[in-house]
Amino acid sequence: MKNDYSQSPLISVRDLQKSFGDHKVLNGITVDIAKGDVVCVIGPSGSGKSTFLRCLNRLDEPTGGEIIFDGVNICDPSTDIDLHRQKMGMVFQQFNLFPHMNILRNLTIAPMALQKKSKEEAEGYAMELLERVGLANRAKDYPLQLSGGQQQRIAIVRALCMKPEVMLFDEPTSALDPEMVGEVLEVMKELASEHMTMVVVTHEMGFAREVASRVMFLDGGDFLEENAPEEFFSNPQNDRLRDFLSKVL
Amino acid sequence: MWEDFKSQFILNFVDDGRWHYLANGLLVTLKLTFFSVLLGLVLGFCIAMIRNIHDNTGKLKIPNFLCNLYLTVIRGTPVVVQLMIIYFVIFGSVRIDKVLTAILAFGINSGAYQAEIFRSGIQSIPKGQMEAGRSLGFSYLETMTRIIMPQAVKNVVPTLLNEVITLLKETSIAGYIALEDLTKGGDIIRSRTYSAFMPLIAVALIYLVMVRLLEFAAKKVERRLKKNEK
Ligand SMILES: Nc1ncnc2c1ncn2[C@@H]1O[C@H](COP(=O)(O)OP(=O)(O)OP(=O)(O)O)[C@@H](O)[C@H]1O
Ligand SMILES: [Mg+2]
Repeated sequence: MKNDYSQSPLISVRDLQKSFGDHKVLNGITVDIAKGDVVCVIGPSGSGKSTFLRCLNRLDEPTGGEIIFDGVNICDPSTDIDLHRQKMGMVFQQFNLFPHMNILRNLTIAPMALQKKSKEEAEGYAMELLERVGLANRAKDYPLQLSGGQQQRIAIVRALCMKPEVMLFDEPTSALDPEMVGEVLEVMKELASEHMTMVVVTHEMGFAREVASRVMFLDGGDFLEENAPEEFFSNPQNDRLRDFLSKVL
Repeated sequence: MWEDFKSQFILNFVDDGRWHYLANGLLVTLKLTFFSVLLGLVLGFCIAMIRNIHDNTGKLKIPNFLCNLYLTVIRGTPVVVQLMIIYFVIFGSVRIDKVLTAILAFGINSGAYQAEIFRSGIQSIPKGQMEAGRSLGFSYLETMTRIIMPQAVKNVVPTLLNEVITLLKETSIAGYIALEDLTKGGDIIRSRTYSAFMPLIAVALIYLVMVRLLEFAAKKVERRLKKNEK
């Protein structure tokens, strides 16, 4: 990687490998993610993008290599992964809000239980964030009463309520009706502008081009190319990337 | 006809206060059902948790083995045989309270079925719920108890109430260990009055009313849960 980091990276991925049984999905991925980076990961379906992202917080257990986060190798079996996950927010394609709790409870359950926040404090912060995504009036509603776009904005807020150091997004707009994609991307853009470190698996090339600080291309479990978005899209080097871009752009 | 009915009624229920057999029997039946369901609930819940933890983490190998053994034995043998084994074999030499014995037997039996109910309830919760919980930093157990179980329990309440109805009827075999439950009560009257029709039909009617009441309650609860769902 040719990036020059003034400080050590927030996440340093070294030769990350993942197999499901005999099926090798990630063939040794090495990449550094600095504080404030917005890394967009793109690639064809089945290339291992989700797997890569899910390995970063060990929702999928890596089968080789290491991930240094905050100076700790979180792949080491002796690390308390639950503790590190508190600092890594994750947003899923299917939102995965807790349907049996109202929105406010969805947002406060983790901070109160895991960070020992008082109810007032947790709710205060949750309301503040809800206000910013324009959903403060829905605090007492239940997730399934909301539209997909609203649910995804809530899911982002739920992760943010833990005050994470990095946010991981797995195709956050892919399950949404087209007219709701914008409102979610808007929230993500705002996050990026506040220098939140983000790793975003996405098919939204427009978003990647506009918001990413770096774009990563995965194909067949290999990390083939990365660059600043301008270069990445206008001057791709790798043949497979060129081929991929010609199909999606 | 009417005179005949009246005299039969008086013979079977009024003379010598025979209705007491039914009333006391009903109380025993209700006691059996209630505490067996409770015991089964605790057993079923624990077993479902153990098996789920084992399936997802590979831990608890020995408890999981014991659970599977228990499920196989209980679900593979008739409840009346289980009842008699517990009463005549396991507690054969120590005379403990019959009601307690029966509660143990029915509770242990029901636990096996409730375990399956809880298990399917847990499996009905989408995988994403566990992932969302874990990604926030909750441990497997915390996610289970705070996020998965509340939803699973809600899903299985109707099935659990069905299990209560089944158990209510199943306790009618308590007579095998000479416990005077509702069925046995009717049978005692029959043996005293030498008329089978009245006491047995009365017993059947009482069961029927109890079952209908439980079904009614189940519907109410179900509707209530649906309303909160949203
Ligand atoms: N739990 C699993 N068990 C077995 N194989 C899996 C599992 N999860 C993913 N895979 C396989 O790993 C490969 C990569 O999957 P992954 O979901 O990471 O792809 P992706 O790049 O995110 O694709 P998409 O764009 O369709 O989401 C696929 O071939 C998939 O079938
Ligand atoms: Mg994917």
